[in-house]
Amino acid sequence: MNNKSASLNRRTFLHGTGLALALPWFESFAAASPNPDETPKRFVSVYHPDGVGLPLKSDPAWKDWSWFPRGGEEDFELTKVLDVLEPLRSDITIYSGLSHPASRRVHGHSNADQYLTGAATGGHGPYANSISLDQVYAEHAGNLTRHASLVMSTNGGVGGPRGAQTQSFNREGRPIPAMNKPKQIFDMLFVTSSKDAAARLARSKSALDLLIENTRSLGRQLSSRDQETLKQYLDAVRDTEVKLAKAQRWIDTPVPEVDTRNLHLDAEPKEARLYFQTMYELIYLSFLSDSTRVATFQLGRENGEGPHDLLSQAVGLGGAHGLTHDVKAPDGWKNLGTYNRYQAEEFGRFAQRLKETPEPTGKGNMLDNTLAMHGSASSSFHLSRNYPIISAGGSNFGFTNGRYLKFGKGNEDNQAGAGIVTDAGWQGNVEVEELPLAKLFVTILQRLGVETDSFAGETGTLSRV
Amino acid sequence: MKNLMFNILLVTTGVCTNLVADDHGTLTFQQANEVGRAKSRFLKGVDVEEKGTEAIPEANVADYQASVGAILNKNCLACHGPEKSEGRLRVDELNSDLLTGPDVERWREVYNVISNSEMPPDDEPDYALADADRGNMVDWLSAELNKASLVRRNTQEHSSFRRLTKYEYNYALQDLLGLPYALANKLPPETVSEDGFKNSSELLQMSIMQFENYREIGLQALKRATVSGQRPEAVTYILSAQEEMEKLTAGDNAKTFDTKDESNRKQRKQQYLLNRETGKGIPFSGGKVMPRPEAIVGLSPAVSPVVHILHRNNELKLDLDRFLPDEGILRVRIRAGRSTMNPDEYASLRLIFSAHTSNNANFSQAISEHDIPVTASSDNPEFIHFDIPLSDIQRNPFRKLTTTFPRRDEFLHIRNVSNAPGGEEALQVLIDTIEISAPFYEQWPPKSHTDIFFASDNKSDEAVYGREVLNRFLKRVWRRPVGSQELDQFMALFVKYRPEFSTFEDAMLEVLATTLATPEFLYLIQRTTTGETQDPTGPTKISELEFASRLSVFLWSSIPDDELLQVAEQGTIRNPEVLTAQIERMLADPRSRRFSQNFVQQWLGLDALNNLTHVSDDSLKEAMQEEPIAFFDEVLRHNHSIMDFIHSDYAMVNERLAAHYGIPKVYGPQFRKVSIEPQTNRGGLLTGAGVLAMNSDGKDSHPLKRGVWMLKRILHDPPPPPPPNVPEVDLTDPEILKMTLKERIADHRNKAACVSCHSRIDPWGIAFESYDAMGTYRTHVKNEPVDATSELFNKQTLAGMDGLKRYLLTDRQDQIARAMVHKMTAYALGRPLSFGDSADIDNLTGQFMRNGAGLGDLIHLIIRSNIFNSK
Repeated sequence: MNNKSASLNRRTFLHGTGLALALPWFESFAAASPNPDETPKRFVSVYHPDGVGLPLKSDPAWKDWSWFPRGGEEDFELTKVLDVLEPLRSDITIYSGLSHPASRRVHGHSNADQYLTGAATGGHGPYANSISLDQVYAEHAGNLTRHASLVMSTNGGVGGPRGAQTQSFNREGRPIPAMNKPKQIFDMLFVTSSKDAAARLARSKSALDLLIENTRSLGRQLSSRDQETLKQYLDAVRDTEVKLAKAQRWIDTPVPEVDTRNLHLDAEPKEARLYFQTMYELIYLSFLSDSTRVATFQLGRENGEGPHDLLSQAVGLGGAHGLTHDVKAPDGWKNLGTYNRYQAEEFGRFAQRLKETPEPTGKGNMLDNTLAMHGSASSSFHLSRNYPIISAGGSNFGFTNGRYLKFGKGNEDNQAGAGIVTDAGWQGNVEVEELPLAKLFVTILQRLGVETDSFAGETGTLSRV
Repeated sequence: MKNLMFNILLVTTGVCTNLVADDHGTLTFQQANEVGRAKSRFLKGVDVEEKGTEAIPEANVADYQASVGAILNKNCLACHGPEKSEGRLRVDELNSDLLTGPDVERWREVYNVISNSEMPPDDEPDYALADADRGNMVDWLSAELNKASLVRRNTQEHSSFRRLTKYEYNYALQDLLGLPYALANKLPPETVSEDGFKNSSELLQMSIMQFENYREIGLQALKRATVSGQRPEAVTYILSAQEEMEKLTAGDNAKTFDTKDESNRKQRKQQYLLNRETGKGIPFSGGKVMPRPEAIVGLSPAVSPVVHILHRNNELKLDLDRFLPDEGILRVRIRAGRSTMNPDEYASLRLIFSAHTSNNANFSQAISEHDIPVTASSDNPEFIHFDIPLSDIQRNPFRKLTTTFPRRDEFLHIRNVSNAPGGEEALQVLIDTIEISAPFYEQWPPKSHTDIFFASDNKSDEAVYGREVLNRFLKRVWRRPVGSQELDQFMALFVKYRPEFSTFEDAMLEVLATTLATPEFLYLIQRTTTGETQDPTGPTKISELEFASRLSVFLWSSIPDDELLQVAEQGTIRNPEVLTAQIERMLADPRSRRFSQNFVQQWLGLDALNNLTHVSDDSLKEAMQEEPIAFFDEVLRHNHSIMDFIHSDYAMVNERLAAHYGIPKVYGPQFRKVSIEPQTNRGGLLTGAGVLAMNSDGKDSHPLKRGVWMLKRILHDPPPPPPPNVPEVDLTDPEILKMTLKERIADHRNKAACVSCHSRIDPWGIAFESYDAMGTYRTHVKNEPVDATSELFNKQTLAGMDGLKRYLLTDRQDQIARAMVHKMTAYALGRPLSFGDSADIDNLTGQFMRNGAGLGDLIHLIIRSNIFNSK
């Protein structure tokens, strides 16, 4: 056996599994310790590629199959695409007029990468990304749970630059591999505890003991002023020890037992309904057992192919990506709308399940303490503007739902870029005003308890949210 | 013709500038330098007094008693006195000594509200403050507050005990392990001190995140340096122009053309393969190549008559499919020659790597660190090669898919980067052979491996050999001989780890990684108990070994090499001849380039260039970044006077920057020294495009920024920070819009609250006005002639940049020299200087000036100085 690959360093190993163990880079670590009575705040973001249907008003399909609701903030009317969310009306908020400024003129196929990061990832040439919204929160809350975050997608892995198959990016902008096999995710969450991890922890412990001893003897040879400086180093080593002890505790703590009735762990994307429901159920169970408070889930990759294209089989339609190209074909808008409707339906089912489950600490239901986002980085055909976003829950930390919030100016009826099926759309000038989505991210982070006033270079929150 | 006209214009304006009356307007720069040098106080031969010239400031209580106190009583006491004490402030109880008194923070609040005209309130007309009174108060308060912060900062003693900076740690690891890659990118950036330095001891913090990163980086680097098992089979591609030609001409429909036939000009403009003997050509711009399992690399086959013609800015794009390994070195070997040998034209090769990740998205990235020039002629082509670490570049993550979408292939582009003009006889690169091979090893096991796991007779005895390995490694990590008990500690760890690993090496790597997390690697140590004879009257000397580390971190930004350690261990390092020889050796070593780069970047604050958005041409931005470093390096290598920083009759430029400056006949990307004429309006550091561009607001020049930069960086006389909430100049006010920039500044300056600081900053910056936001010389702004004449607060007139330079040379040499000594000593020690260091700095400056202010001499002087040798 090649020991080199077996002894991959700890983080590589954990990232490779798609779950970051509860060892985030977290500076004020010592201050945060889990309090069993404290109600968790959770965040989950679901991403679907390829955008939504946006017919022109003059198109007969507009009335039923335009994704965005009609009407005002509170008296909005859902079209057939989102009417499945009507029972949850008072628990959801729908947004329009938001997008990431740096990518407004980049082809939609490149943009899953930047939906949660807001980075200028562009369409060609050198590539760099930055930390995603969920990981900022995971840095804050990740050490309270066994797993800092749960990163999932239908296609799995990281994908490639401008072809992301994960929504989560770390502090250095590197993608965090997503898990896509329900069985693997389940085992990671509720079955295994790693022997390897235990051995690595023990080795680290011995190394730290040596370093402390070595530092102490060095300290005796320094001036008292320099000893003060060295104390910082010693503190860092001690903090690491505390952190290891904590990781050790997770290893020693039995994994939670959960109700597995709704799980179909062998489901594959081609059995779209089972697969979807199982993946959502895994997020639900990980939240319920407080195994993590942060999750992302990407439904496929932009530009079709692979498992993602199979998802539309749930509603009896062909390749999901093709639906966006065929909107001008007979029933084209209806077909795309039907698929989007299905996505909303599954998201709604997940939100409903959270809503029906009382929060274990007794404070409301689980949805009240979870902000669940659902969205895409394109609206109309390849158009990286006016992201279609829904959020659900979060009412216990400041979100007032039951609203349709329109932002920006000049596109109140969502007609900018509507009905296009050519590249002239995404390449065209931005003629209406949209607000940076990062401002919503700042609002979300602040309400989740992260002290920050900017994200991806945008400062300030979004009013009215 | 156009050029000539332009030159005439420049000459004329140059003359005009010279005619503007100032004291030294008639002096040449060289005369100005001589006049100024003659005035130097440091040259008068008087050894500087014990205490140093940087006297500790004293509080100016007299002015308070004379005027400020009375103003406060008249305008403020009614609300902030014994009757009423709004905001719990009583102005009658504030201690007027800000330097030693307890009320400095309250005074700062007073200063803020007075300078912002927030107090007295508008609705208290009885207590309105006259402009003159407000000006007096602001003057006094800003001076006293500045002195107070100076005192607070400079009376505190600082230690040179510090951890290595991010870049020093990176170099140390590279030198220790023999790995030429960026290893420490993970570490967070360093905080910059008030002086602009990143190596300032009090700011180099340690945290859990920092510490964990060190542990991780150390282990990863060790794993990269070492290998296990058999030499891995390399994947090799060979592209032979001859073979490609044979393949392409084999079929019936070959698109062969006669290159000598004039009617085929169009084909000749594209890339093609050429048989130089027959003149036959065939279009070719790359394509798919497949690995050849049997190929042997590193050979030099006979030069083929068939070559690939690569025009300037063209790319040969090779589809390598998905066979390159995940890690190891990718060696690309290209035999290339130039079609013409005009020395003013260059052609160089660059490697670019790309993949298509989606049908409308791709990525591509230059993977070669530098373009490599093609210098051989096409008749005698030579191999050039690139080594690319595969694990450090962006790869196609889909290369291992079992399905064919997204695309799995990876592309290597070979680009001809050239300054040659087009046309019939244009310079082309002719390539006959390309070898692409990975993983490439110079030898097996590689040297980086055998440096750690060296040959030994004791290799079979793990306990003995383990100790040998540890001893040799740890000595370099700690930069000192290692005690036996210390080895015991680490051997104990090894014994504990050993059963968990299948090989000796794997277990040992974990132990070695632990040594890389010890404070003695991460910090610059100065022990109190080193057995040194201590001079009870003077500061304690650092040991020879500590001195060696300080020296190598100063000149190499890294750990000492074996030779330096050896002279330190032998105790001879401080012998004058030995030390001189070592300093010369270190400066001659390529590692000393790190000193020029890091010192200059920090001293001048060049990081600011990275954030510029108005310089969109990357090659220009790079040249702007490089120029001051190359200039400094030139002055250093030739021991020129540092007054060259103020003005020189030469410039360091490459083709891009020369074009920007209008200097003709500079070709190629490399920097070189060129003589310049006065009408070029360059010379020295102040007129460097980078300095000018980074001190602009993105659209136009920014005299304030330029003035502040000049005071901070060159004169070491930083102005106090602006008060909070300074009102922005209101650009919606039509009256203000009508003004020229200089008038606007004057308008702002005339506000009572602003005048005291601005009168000390603005005139310096206005002298830079002949240069726009790109650092381009100009004679007009918006059709108005540039007005770059200003008057310093001491009534000295500065006639533009030339006037500024003359004034600095005639009147400020001592200040410039002292500033340079101060900055470089602070950098060399890695700590802020305090009042206590003032005498040492004066002393050094005196010696420095007497020696002729040569930059090379300064390095030697600092290294020999008391301050550099002490704790």
